[in-house]
Amino acid sequence: MTLRRRLLDWSLAGLLLVLPALILRSNVRSGEPSGFDRAVLRVSSPLQAAVSWVIEGLGGMWSRYVALIGVDDENRELRAENERLRKDLAAMKRRAFDVEAIEELVDLKKRTPADTVGARVIAASLTPFFRVVRIRIDRGDKEVAPGMPVITSAGLVGRVAAAYGNHADVMLIADAQSSVDVVVPRTGGRGVLTGLGATDSYRCKIQWLERPSEPNQQARVEVGDAVVTSGLGAAFPAGIPVGVVDKVASKDYGMFQEVEVKPAVDFSELRAVMVLVAPPPPADPAAGKPRHAEPAFAVRPL
Amino acid sequence: MRTATLVLVAYGLLLVLGAVWRILPLGPLADAVPDLAAITAAYLGLSSRRGIAPAVTGGVIVGYLADLLIGAPPGLGALACGIITILGHLVQRRILVRGWAVTVGFCGFTGAVAALLVIALRAVHDQPLARPSTEIFHLIATAAATAAAGPLLLRLLRRIDATFARTHREREHALEGIS
Repeated sequence: MTLRRRLLDWSLAGLLLVLPALILRSNVRSGEPSGFDRAVLRVSSPLQAAVSWVIEGLGGMWSRYVALIGVDDENRELRAENERLRKDLAAMKRRAFDVEAIEELVDLKKRTPADTVGARVIAASLTPFFRVVRIRIDRGDKEVAPGMPVITSAGLVGRVAAAYGNHADVMLIADAQSSVDVVVPRTGGRGVLTGLGATDSYRCKIQWLERPSEPNQQARVEVGDAVVTSGLGAAFPAGIPVGVVDKVASKDYGMFQEVEVKPAVDFSELRAVMVLVAPPPPADPAAGKPRHAEPAFAVRPL
Repeated sequence: MRTATLVLVAYGLLLVLGAVWRILPLGPLADAVPDLAAITAAYLGLSSRRGIAPAVTGGVIVGYLADLLIGAPPGLGALACGIITILGHLVQRRILVRGWAVTVGFCGFTGAVAALLVIALRAVHDQPLARPSTEIFHLIATAAATAAAGPLLLRLLRRIDATFARTHREREHALEGIS
């Protein structure tokens, strides 16, 4: 490149630099884009808008489909939180169930005049041959002894079979070895309730329930009749609900009726029970009669 | 034709960058915009084979279009890019922009010089300036972003340049960054 051509080149370059300087100066002074700027903007703006539209579309696709990795993590966290809350809810429901059982127990304790001990069931029966539940008692085995009745607000549960430390085994009335003297209040018929030892239910039967004579048909036990403890034998206080008659099979021959009883207590949902430690105090013979105390300080009549 | 193609490609990239930068979740790094116009102008200066005037024309046009895109006073970026083109031409025979480290360093330096020129021009024309700390932070951020994105742009521009080569030797030189 010759010197002259080089000088021309650099001069042209210098002039090209002056042009933007002038444009800048003009723009800064006027504060508004010039007509040329407007014309270029009129051409470039739609182009810019189109590119922006395409990029935003791609960005939207990214955020809707590709960038779902974050959503996956979030879902995992939410699932974990959901699981934790479900566990909490289950624990709360269990606790509410326990509280409800304890409230029933407290109510029963208020209604029962006898000395009682509250207990929580810690194990249930696993075999139909030995219908036994294990309970945890808040008093030691010095106060709870075998043979003591165990009840809930629904009715009779059974009797204490063995007591050791703070625990006791309760033989349910559904056990085949259990025997409770019961009475059907409507008919006045008496019998002995024993467990059937069935594998699929806690049903019981009443033995030795006398069959009524022909003219006395009202003494016939019917399905739905309530069965309560008779109080005979002093093993159980009288009047504790035991269950309802579920099935009656009357034969034309024989002295006794065959009656099956559905227990009043649902043994599968047994949570808390009450042990009757001592019988209720004897009734006050002077109850209901007016009492006159001896005057302590007043002047006695001569 | 070659310069026009490079300018058009640079303009397209500026359009895409302007659209993409807006939607990227960059947070505090949103201010660190790579100065693609400055890199293009520097490349035009570096690769000007037959005179500086066509390269300065290209650099000024790129800067002007960038001004219109980003909303700066028209002429501000154009003047800065024109000066960078001349600076690129002046160092053409002295440095060889090849290799990873030199390319990144060159791009970062170009970004810093462009930012400095814009600050100086704004100061000369009584345009509002931020606090010195903010301006310095912006300068460093721009230089860093340009250093990061510049090598890719240079690689693209060299590819385009190579398609305009008339001989095999020119093509090889363009691809290898030898002017």
